[in-house]
Amino acid sequence: MLTFTLRRISLFIFTMLVLTLLSFSLSFLFPGDTVINHSGQINATASELVQLNKAYQMDKSIVDQYGAYLTHILNGDFGQSMASQSPIRNEIIELLPATIELSLVALLIAMVVGIPLGFIAAINHNKASDNVILSLAMLGYSIPVFWLGLLAILVFSIGLGWLPSAGQISLLFEIKFVTGIQFIDILLSDSPYKWQAFSNASAHIILPACVIALAPATIFIRLSRAAMIEVLAASYIRAARAKGLSFQQIIFRHAIRNALIKIIRHVGLQFANLVTIAMVTEVIFSWPGIGRWLIESIYQRDYTAIQSGLLVLSCFIFIIHILTDFIYAALNPLARGNQHGS
Amino acid sequence: MNLLDIRNLSIELDTPNGRVLAVDRVSLSIKEGEVRGLVGESGSGKSLLAQAIIGVLEDKWHVHADRFHWRGIDLLRLTIDERRALLCRDIAMIFQEPMSCLDPTTLIGEQLSEAIDSKQLSGYFWQRKKQRKEAVIKLLHKVGIKKHSECISSYPHQLTEAICQRVMIAIALAGRPILLIADEPTATMESTNQGQIYRLLANLNQLKNMSILLISHDLENLTHWTSTITVMYSGQFVEAGTTEQIFNKPMHPYTRALVDSSTKANLQLPTKSRLMTLPGSIPILQHLPIGCRLGPRCPRAQQTCVSAPKVSNFHGHKVSCHFPILHESPRKESQKHKALKHKTVKGNN
Repeated sequence: MLTFTLRRISLFIFTMLVLTLLSFSLSFLFPGDTVINHSGQINATASELVQLNKAYQMDKSIVDQYGAYLTHILNGDFGQSMASQSPIRNEIIELLPATIELSLVALLIAMVVGIPLGFIAAINHNKASDNVILSLAMLGYSIPVFWLGLLAILVFSIGLGWLPSAGQISLLFEIKFVTGIQFIDILLSDSPYKWQAFSNASAHIILPACVIALAPATIFIRLSRAAMIEVLAASYIRAARAKGLSFQQIIFRHAIRNALIKIIRHVGLQFANLVTIAMVTEVIFSWPGIGRWLIESIYQRDYTAIQSGLLVLSCFIFIIHILTDFIYAALNPLARGNQHGS
Repeated sequence: MNLLDIRNLSIELDTPNGRVLAVDRVSLSIKEGEVRGLVGESGSGKSLLAQAIIGVLEDKWHVHADRFHWRGIDLLRLTIDERRALLCRDIAMIFQEPMSCLDPTTLIGEQLSEAIDSKQLSGYFWQRKKQRKEAVIKLLHKVGIKKHSECISSYPHQLTEAICQRVMIAIALAGRPILLIADEPTATMESTNQGQIYRLLANLNQLKNMSILLISHDLENLTHWTSTITVMYSGQFVEAGTTEQIFNKPMHPYTRALVDSSTKANLQLPTKSRLMTLPGSIPILQHLPIGCRLGPRCPRAQQTCVSAPKVSNFHGHKVSCHFPILHESPRKESQKHKALKHKTVKGNN
């Protein structure tokens, strides 16, 4: 298990190095002066520019420049936003948790809905319910997310008035910022209206999370259906039947765990897709997350913000990827041993 | 009394080009305490037959039979669930490739303990767990695994094939079966391990009076362990009889060829001459010959072989052939010879 962990950590470090290299090179590729792209100080005076050049070691070789850039990143200094002239670090700390919250809730919904539906379809393979689930999955996958978001607002917020259409929580509630993840902050706060705030925040997250979850859920349906069909055809299931186990025992004791193992690996991959969908959805639902902020930065040609936003988001996706790898290893005894080339 | 009595069992497969008769009216009977061998080339439907008996075939296979009796109970009258409940209690099966027949993500101990029926355990529910564990250890000892604690807490991929097969046998024994179906139990094993597994099965047969249906493609090896043998070819019944009858006096040309192709029979051949084999290979499921399926390969085939032969019984030695090889006893042979001689002498006069 230790070697497995070390392997994952080294993979993480090297991937992050490559990502910083990419964001470093973006400063050269974007229009404008490199050091201004690095730091985001568009209104710097001559003396400040000299200071910046020294800080980013612009007079030395490109390797030294990269080293200086890396030191800045590791110290948590992403520079200033070109648009607002406030440190990007603060904005990221404020906005990233909201995105993490939204995307994790969406992932949870997608898995909780998608995987059991896929299993049901696989168990009733080639029957009516299988076909119905599969066609629904096809339909759900083909709906564009921005259209679905607008439609959801139109129906559930404006038409039926069940759920709020925008924001993370009603402005009436004053929740102190601790972690940035709204639910945890609410639980930590000592406001007398804690539970009202909690239900209000949940009402706010349902609509955007469901809109984000739709496409990944359909993918999970298909993945889990294929995995379950494969597992049910395996010889150990036949052996378990010959052992005299009932169908339910076979499904719950043997089939589900083996099918989950096959799916878990894809969860990390699907998460990148999910975050992309979340960015669009954040714009539609005015969710104060990093996705909306990044898209706005792109509109405003805020190159420093684009760079750091990409770096932080990809770091987040990669951490989730590694976490799913750990869950995979915990579920699958075959992955825990010494394996080469993985 | 016959433990298992199957008459004219057919198995059909749904394919895009209509149904294919994979197993064509095979009969099989097993007596109590007997070890019956089921021999045939790979693809001859032995495994299908075994899986059809225990009822674990997938939905695309369709099974019909004229008679299917288990210990005097007509199974065809029961519903599928009743049949499964009855058979899973009394019949156990071990498969080829034991490694793939054990759940790769579940510990051996758990897989063994879930095979133990809770009816076998006495005592209150808080004692059950301990009893279950004791029963698991006992089962492992029974199949010759001494390091039970290591075996219980390991996953299938951490064990060797032979140990996995022993675990499979232990799982099969957990239900205290009356009949054990062993489907090529040693297909992927080395010869030393093969011997161990076969000896274990023979012990179980002798000590527990357990009947065994031993499925294999290796006729010569099977003769050491079985008392009766049924031979199949391409899904058709070929010949059945005691091991001596089959091995020493085969009546069907296919069995003859099987016996002749064994390594022992080929020992006397001069060097660099061709080994004894039948020409051609087993037909694929899509292009089965009509009538006797051995027809195109059979050295004794004649025109009548395009219709399927009926099973004829020679003192318990059943054979399905139009032109069986008849071995007559030496006395009878000499009498015949004499009569023939007499005739020719008379003719000369």
